[in-house]
This record gives sequence, structure tokens and C-alpha cells, in this order.
Amino acid sequence: MILQNVSLEVQNHLTILGANGSGKSTLAKAICGLVPYEGEIKLNARNVEELSLKEKAKTISYIPAKLEIYDNFIRVEEFVLLGRFPYKKSFFDYSKEDKNIVEETLEFLKISHLKERSVSSLSSGEQQLTLIAQALAQRSRIIIFDEPTANLDPSNSKTIAQRIKGLKERCQIILITHDLHLACYVDSPVLFIKEKRVHYYEREFFEDATLHELYGVEFSSLAVKYD
Amino acid sequence: MIKLFVWAFFFGVLVISPFIGAVNLDVASIFGADSLSSSIFFDLRVPRVLFAFFAGSVLALSGLLFQTLFRNALMTPYTLGVSSGAVLGAGIAIKLGLGTLFFGIGAVSLFGFLGAVFTVFLLIYLSQFLRSAQHESLLLLGIALSLFYSATLMIVFYLGSAMQNDMLIRFTMGSLSVIGWRDPILLGFIALMVFGSVYAYRFELQLLSVSEDQATLKGVNAPRVTLGLLIASSLGIGVLVSVSGPIGFVGLIVPHVVAKIYPTTLSGRILKTALFGGFFLVLCDTVSRALQTQSELPIGIVTALIGGPFFIYLIIAKAHK
Repeated sequence: MILQNVSLEVQNHLTILGANGSGKSTLAKAICGLVPYEGEIKLNARNVEELSLKEKAKTISYIPAKLEIYDNFIRVEEFVLLGRFPYKKSFFDYSKEDKNIVEETLEFLKISHLKERSVSSLSSGEQQLTLIAQALAQRSRIIIFDEPTANLDPSNSKTIAQRIKGLKERCQIILITHDLHLACYVDSPVLFIKEKRVHYYEREFFEDATLHELYGVEFSSLAVKYD
Repeated sequence: MIKLFVWAFFFGVLVISPFIGAVNLDVASIFGADSLSSSIFFDLRVPRVLFAFFAGSVLALSGLLFQTLFRNALMTPYTLGVSSGAVLGAGIAIKLGLGTLFFGIGAVSLFGFLGAVFTVFLLIYLSQFLRSAQHESLLLLGIALSLFYSATLMIVFYLGSAMQNDMLIRFTMGSLSVIGWRDPILLGFIALMVFGSVYAYRFELQLLSVSEDQATLKGVNAPRVTLGLLIASSLGIGVLVSVSGPIGFVGLIVPHVVAKIYPTTLSGRILKTALFGGFFLVLCDTVSRALQTQSELPIGIVTALIGGPFFIYLIIAKAHK
């Protein structure tokens, strides 16, 4: 058990920061219900454990840092369509509406030109966008990003950062990251995990003094580079 | 065009296959009443070709299923020891001299099925101790199980009489010879069931082929779907092995070849894999009967002769990537 006695009530956007191995990803997985935990996690006043698997899928989507895929042939549009699974009738194919939603989502993210490509042939940045498209097609209120820029170069990081910020109007974003530039740019309240405890910062997190205290590294004005 | 040719060739083999074998049939009298040719054709050859077709389908579908669920190209019922478990179960039933148990279901079939299902449960139980990414270790577990089963089968040999051992040896070499229509019809139903369950859960499988976590996050009850499909396929493998003995490599080769010919996502390949598997085994069986050797070449030897080199090629191609 990495985190102890954490009770969490998620109602707004949230960025989760912390050192390596501090339990950020575990916390994210606990929010999705993928790992067992003690304590209580509430999403918009509902207890996570009370939701059925499909209801949960309609509430939360989780975007991993890296796409690991065995099916080498699955194309982008087919992959994004998987996001519609919780809405699909059992045993039946995806509906016309599901397919329309996929089209819309691809257009919204400006990746319609990729739809015929196989997912395994995409670059890391394109794969991250495809994962975001799948999460959006899932139409969940909450999207969890787990280290979205960990495998990206600065220019792709910028694209992803802008997308994530843009999404704050549509959904509730929970962002887990090491990337302080990204965190600062996305500008949500921060949950900082340190030594098995969580600290919550509504606003003042990105001030040099706070950062210095938490990371023990000298910061001089964290520059916002993604605009 | 080449695809069409392949399917046409396969279909041609299926049609001429019943006419080929140790005894040359008098084509004119096949459809006449009460001739020897007629009874060889309708009681032995046609049931055998159908049995081979269904067997190939079950093996290929199970291979596709295992490869998808465990997300590894080398995972098949054969490489994971599920077939060996069925062989051991069936071998024990032969040694004990058990006949028909109930409802016409033979003890050999039942023990074969139990051996296969037991192995699946054992693998699932043991895989809990592995980290989810360690699928290579699962493969090693399967190989260890296979070796263990082989040794146990040797003990059964050691305890058996000469006659039982002769039956056992022939059984372990694999043979598609069936007499009458009972076995092909039973296997036909089972092949249909395996195909039906894989097809019904094609969307769940597609999600599981991404990752178990991702499938869960989309609302798939991953443990239940995985277990259900594995049991359905073990039923197929168990019944098949108890009649024909182990037939290796079909489950490994066919899904790969179909994926090479049809590079589409999983749900587009299920039916094609089932058909291709059936045709492929009919072809192998036809070759084994056409060779006119002293006695018929066991089918397991034919598929292994083709499959062995292909398996090595796969491992090397994978290492290159």
C-alpha cells in the first residue's frame, strides 16, 4: 500500500503531481476501480464502487501514457469506435450513431486524415491523439490522463497540452503528470503527493517558493511555453 | 485474385478428398446401392473429411482465441499444454478401460475434456502470480506443464498392457480416421458452439486484445469473458483430442496465415480463420492418405512437419522485429 488513509472527493478539474513512486498512478487506477483500495473515492457525490462496469465506463475514461496493442491491424476509426462499447447492445454491432460520433470526434481533434491508418503505424503523438479521441467518443464526464506527455517531444507535447486545456470546457480533467510545464499550462487545482500524504493547492502551487519547498529544486518562474 | 485461387484450391481439395485413399474406389458404383465402394465412401471417407474440417476449425479458432486473450503470437492450446492435458486425460481413460459413461458420451471424451479444462484453470490460477506483462512466463509454464504431462503419460504406458500401449501410442500420434457419423456430427456441433461463442464476444475480444485494463475500463467483465471463452474452447479441444489424439501446430499456423492474407482487425478474421483451419486440415489429411505409404501417415506427423519449421520462422521473425 503506497498511499494510506486517502479519502478523495473529486468534483472539479484536478492535477495530480508527485515524485516517482509516490502513488500517482496507483491513485488514478484506484479512481477507475482497477486496483483494490481501502477508504472512499467519490466521483461527483457517487461512490466509485457502487457503479456497474458499464456505468463506470460512461462516467470515467482513462488514457494511459503509452498505447500497448496486440492487434496490429486495427485502424484508427475502429480503435476510436471501441470507446462506444459501453453504449453498445450486447452481441450486436456498433450502431450508425456510434459511427457518426466517431466521425465527429475525429474531426473535432483534426485527425480525420488518420482514420484509415493502422494504430500501430502511428507516431507517439498521433497515438496519444487517437487515445484522446477514443476517450471523447466514450462521452464520459471525467477523463483521466496518465502522463500524457511522457513519451512526446516538445512540439507534440504542445499539441496535447492545448487539447487537454481545450477539453476543460467539455469534461472534468484529472491530469497525472511529471511535466510541470504541462501542469502549469493546464492550470487546475493541484493535488501534491509527498511522503504518503496528499496536499491540496487551489491556486498558489505554481509559485517559485512553493515549488522549491516541495521539490527541493530551485525554480525561477516556471515559464508557460505552450500558448 | 490469389485469395480467390487459394479458396478455390481448398474447396477443390475438399471435394476430391473423399475419393483419395488406400483403396481405389470405383467411382461409378459409389452412388449405387450396397457396393463396397459406396460403404467406404459414405461410412468412412466422407465422415472423415467432415471430421477433419471441423477439427481444423476448432483448432484454428482456439489458436486465434488464445493468441488474442493472452496477446502473444505463440500462445495456443498446444503450446500452453491444454492439448497435452487432454491427451493425458484421454490416456488415463484408455488405460482404465472405461467405455461409454452416459448419454452415449464416451469416458475418453469426458476425461479429455476434463484434462483440458483442468489445465486452463491451472494456468489461470498460476498466472495470478505473474505480472500482467509477463506473458512469456506463462508460455514457459505451459511448456513445463506439457513436459510434466508427457512424463505422467509415460507412467501410464509403463503400467499398461501391450495392447493398451498399442492403442495409446496410436492415439498419441494423432489420427483422423473415424467410423460412421457419430464423431463428425458431435464435433460439428462443438465447432459451431466454439465459433458462435467467439463470434458473439468478438467486440469484447477486440477490447481484450488491447489490454485487460482497457477492456475493463470500457465495461467488459474481463475475468468472466476470458474464463467463459477458454472453457468453450477447452470443451472443443477436449472432445477433439479424445477422438483424434493431439494435432499440433494448426492453431499456431492458421491464424497467422489468415492475418497475413487478410490484414484486418480481429472481428473480420474469425470466420475466415475457422474456414481456413478446416480446409487446411483436410488438405493435410488428404496428403497423408495420398502418400500410399505402408500404413497411413498419422496426421499429427504431417502437421508437425509443416508446423515445426513455421514455428521456428515465427520466433526468428519476431526476434527481428
